[in-house]
Amino acid sequence: MSPALSIAMNDLRLLLRDRVNAFFVFVFPLLFAMFFGSIFGGGGEGRGRMTVAVVDEDRTPASLAFVESLRADEALAVGGPMSMGQAESLVRQGKTTALVFLPEGFGEASDGLFAGRSLPIRAKVDPSRRAEAGLLTGKLNEIAFRRMTGLFSGEGWRDRLALARDRLAREPVAGPRGEALGTLLDDLGVFYERMESADDAAPDESGRAGEGGGVGGFSPVDVKVEELTRDLAGRPKNSYEVSFPQGIVWGLMGCVMGFGVSLAHERTRGTLVRLTTAPISRGTILLGKALACFVACLLVQAMLLGFGMLVFGIRLDGPSAWAMMGLAVLCSSVGFAGVMMFVAGISQTGPGAEGFGRALILILTMIGGGTVPLFMLPGWMQTAGMISPFTWATRAIEGALWRGFSPGEMALPCVVLIGFGAAGWVVGVRAMKWTT
Amino acid sequence: MLRLDGLRKSFGPTLAVDGVSLAVNPGEVFGLLGPNGAGKSTTIHLAVGLLSPDAGRVEIRGLGPPTDPAARRVIGVAPQSLAVYDDLTGRENLAFFAGLFGLGRAERRRKADEALEAVGLLDRAADRAGTYSGGMKRRLNLAAGIVHDPSLIVLDEPTAGVDPQSRDNILGMVRRLAQRGRTVVYTTHYMEEAEKLCDRVAVIDRGRLLDLGTVHELIARHGGDTTVTITRGRGDHARSDAVPTKDPARTLREAMASGGDITAVRVDRPDLETVFLTLTGRSLRDA
Repeated sequence: MSPALSIAMNDLRLLLRDRVNAFFVFVFPLLFAMFFGSIFGGGGEGRGRMTVAVVDEDRTPASLAFVESLRADEALAVGGPMSMGQAESLVRQGKTTALVFLPEGFGEASDGLFAGRSLPIRAKVDPSRRAEAGLLTGKLNEIAFRRMTGLFSGEGWRDRLALARDRLAREPVAGPRGEALGTLLDDLGVFYERMESADDAAPDESGRAGEGGGVGGFSPVDVKVEELTRDLAGRPKNSYEVSFPQGIVWGLMGCVMGFGVSLAHERTRGTLVRLTTAPISRGTILLGKALACFVACLLVQAMLLGFGMLVFGIRLDGPSAWAMMGLAVLCSSVGFAGVMMFVAGISQTGPGAEGFGRALILILTMIGGGTVPLFMLPGWMQTAGMISPFTWATRAIEGALWRGFSPGEMALPCVVLIGFGAAGWVVGVRAMKWTT
Repeated sequence: MLRLDGLRKSFGPTLAVDGVSLAVNPGEVFGLLGPNGAGKSTTIHLAVGLLSPDAGRVEIRGLGPPTDPAARRVIGVAPQSLAVYDDLTGRENLAFFAGLFGLGRAERRRKADEALEAVGLLDRAADRAGTYSGGMKRRLNLAAGIVHDPSLIVLDEPTAGVDPQSRDNILGMVRRLAQRGRTVVYTTHYMEEAEKLCDRVAVIDRGRLLDLGTVHELIARHGGDTTVTITRGRGDHARSDAVPTKDPARTLREAMASGGDITAVRVDRPDLETVFLTLTGRSLRDA
């Protein structure tokens, strides 16, 4: 066995025997990937929804229908109806994000929407979860408008217009506002008549007329949200395909810490003296150290990908994706082995390497999107993320896993990762101190 | 076996080794003594090729400088720190270090067991070094330096902080190595160890070689006279006189002849510690 291989084998054995190191290299990334994969909704029904308690004091068909609309929304997990006291208690205890309150008169207001009535909906949100209040406001508006559209579509529009006119006659709205409402109702009558004539002349293409999409399939707003992906095969199949690449890169960071600190410890412990006085070159020693880190990086990536494929349904579609993943894994390993040399070379002692390594990894993962999603970071920090190998390794692995990168697209992250590896090697070897 | 010729080494403004020249003969135990910060470790590091000298040269007899792989094959080092892997067993540690010297798998195992037996650790060969006591680790550290059967063995403070049993084992090991014709360079703070073990001793301080010779030669040159202390009288009336002399027997005879109530006699011969203090002074060294 060559000395470099012997050193590499020894370092890998030491890694596996150090339970803490082995945990951060192999187990922690897996837990990370599983945890974030599950909380971002990859696990199935009911996950990732905002919990809402409903208080319905109106109890009319209109309020019950609104509650059913809330229940039907995929973004909400609705509890109740229940009393206000119960709902407030749940929110206060943090068991529910918000409560939605439909007061008495909701149904009446619903019928009189075009007679100048507003639909009364109230909500109370847990103060610690203000960010979700915006989402809830949007959801309530969306459901309310969907309901309004439904009221004035389908066969019953004549009755609802007549009801609105009667109400306006019984409870007139004074001034220009009343005149404007009257004009609106007249114009709506004309609008519906014409849309129906148009439907008779040209059969509905969508076949969805009167199903809540508006009269004759007409809706003033048509919003569709799609994910920007190459094609169906290039879309993440589940959230684990997003969380596992990040978990893998955490594993690579674990390798950097484990081997970087170990090499620095060897200097203070004196084992580096033994290696240096053996009849092998210093280049061979460093090659052995880097080889151990490189192999550990390969192992952790293979292990996590294998686990993700077997247990969490992540998969590589076709030989091209496998080839791209092989390239991504190789280049990531080269890059992070170089980062390890940098950490070990710059740090004079084991504790120094631990401190420097932790700080470096914290910064690199933060600007690389490993702790906070990149879109939440300021623009300059997103740009700064380009100097993080975390960013490029994640990009390369995602590129192979679900972004459907072509060889040309994979070239950039791979070249950058190899560049990180080479730069880390050069700086680390130059800075390396062989004795204390 | 080992020749240092005009070695100089500086670290920034600090001159750590200042023109040290000495030769270690094959098969001898050579002691290197000096206070803390005297330059012993730097000299050792230069001798085994861990550091490059600013000036001067090091030669392993017939094999060139210690940076040459052929020269390195005959050198064994036991650093002052416990340079073993805690997470490996004693046997795995030694087999790994032996492997770096090109020994095959079976030979590594055989040599590892031989070295473990030599330092009394064969029964703990399969235990991780992290579970060893300080003295056991120190012995394993020594075993790791000799596992490839080197002809020049450099031991840097090999008995620092060990119990008497481990010290006895290590000293016995060094004697056996010498009996087998191995050359040993030995640094220590324990003067009695150097006096018992070393064929020749070099005293260095502030990076300079102060003197070199056998223990007897050094004592003769720097030890001064034997001191005979004669106490007369008892209790509160006791009076002691210390008399430096080259002939203690004669001094004692003269004292007896002069009469008086001699109640105690003590003879203090100069030893290596006297030499050490004479050469390096009595001021404290905290470097």
